[in-house]
Amino acid sequence: MTSAPPAIHVAHLSKRFETGPTLDDVSFEVGSREFVTIVGPSGCGKSTTLRIVAGLVGRSSGTVHVAGREVTGPISQAAMVFQSPVLLPWRRVDENILFPAEMRGDPPDRYRDRASELIALAGLGGFERRYPHELSGGMQQRAALCRALLLDPALLLMDEPFGALDVLTREHMDFELQRVWSSTTSAVLLVTHSISEAVLLSDRVIVMSPRPGRIHAVVDVDLPRPRTRSTFEDARFAELAGRVRAHLEARWSG
Amino acid sequence: MVLALWEAGTRSFDVPLYILPPPSAVLLALRRTWTLQAQHLAITAATTFVGLALALVAGVGLALAAVYVRAIRAVILPALAAFNGIPKVAIAPLFVIWFGLGDEPKVLLAFLMGLFPIFVSAAAGLGEIEPDYLDLARLSGGSERRIFWKVRLMHALPYLTDALKVAFPLALVGSVVGEFIGGNRGIGYLILSAQFNLDTPLVFACLIGITLLTSAATGFVVWLENRWLVWRPSRRREGAAAAPSGLSGA
Repeated sequence: MTSAPPAIHVAHLSKRFETGPTLDDVSFEVGSREFVTIVGPSGCGKSTTLRIVAGLVGRSSGTVHVAGREVTGPISQAAMVFQSPVLLPWRRVDENILFPAEMRGDPPDRYRDRASELIALAGLGGFERRYPHELSGGMQQRAALCRALLLDPALLLMDEPFGALDVLTREHMDFELQRVWSSTTSAVLLVTHSISEAVLLSDRVIVMSPRPGRIHAVVDVDLPRPRTRSTFEDARFAELAGRVRAHLEARWSG
Repeated sequence: MVLALWEAGTRSFDVPLYILPPPSAVLLALRRTWTLQAQHLAITAATTFVGLALALVAGVGLALAAVYVRAIRAVILPALAAFNGIPKVAIAPLFVIWFGLGDEPKVLLAFLMGLFPIFVSAAAGLGEIEPDYLDLARLSGGSERRIFWKVRLMHALPYLTDALKVAFPLALVGSVVGEFIGGNRGIGYLILSAQFNLDTPLVFACLIGITLLTSAATGFVVWLENRWLVWRPSRRREGAAAAPSGLSGA
């Protein structure tokens, strides 16, 4: 496991937009099968960090490597799930899931089996021939997740993927995400506002400070996997969540 | 009811036929000249469709230039808008002088009338896409070419069909105006010669013919939309009503 290069290696990353400094000297690593979450107040640059790692936004200084290779543009080893599903409305769900293969120039037929596998895994069986607008928000996000996993990416980037869902559905989706992820070999970098989501899902939680974003603290989450609803009752869970909360609030008032 | 009032009014006030004919006279004229109208209408429709087709090609082409070439983007919209502001009626005689009394000026006028709405809609459809879609495509390794064919073009289709609904009647007006200015074919010519003969019922009958043509064309576009573009934003709610919701369907 340690022989594979880290999924993400970020060193002294800084980013400056016209509006001012957004990220300041951010350094962190995500191991090749780790699940890491970034939490922080709004505007602290966590989404920006995600996009820089994806190669969608340039950096002002510092280095970013994904799976051992430097990031100079949109990278193929990473897949992304956005807050809104971003499914192409004119395509059926199964055609949407095959979209990354088409974008790459590969014949979609090669991936049909994988797509069926993912559809079954994500609980979308029977809905693959529907159009996105016929599905609920949660189902659309499942489809977006399947699409992201189609090409077995080394890295899965998620930008508040369940932020638009109601709390109950969100909790359900967190467990679904864990279930689906555990059958893959991808690393995950997730950005969220929800402390409980972060602690539930991650191996490590990175807490960022308000703008300009810096890494304020990192909390290791050593809860046993797979995590279930009873994890919420665990004293250790409460302790870790409390620690994350304390870090967040310290910076807020600071 | 309006028709009844119209009929009664013209008859009881003994309005001369050439000023405002009663609906019955119009209908009579319509029946009498049906074949004649159809012939001329077909000619006008032909020049309109050709002009519209050219406008579609040119409009989409210019929109592509505006979306992909930054240098052109700032210039093209004001230029086209300014050009569009010139009343075509004013320059139509010029076209006749340049191109004669044949079909060319009519096609040109139809083209010019239809160009602007198609360009604006195509530019919006091709360019105004949520950045997330483009980010997603790029992250998956898509080249700009692939992104065009598989994302931008499909996204633009509802915009284009909407533009056609606007552009068709405009193009039709262009053709008809061309026929007013010169020539001896088409529904515009028929209207003009009916006016010279003070055959007002025929004028009205021709107007009905034009209306029917426009309705048919618009209806066709709407049918195309309902058949192939069921996914466009205005239609999405209807599908959502049938979707499952809640935990089990989340």
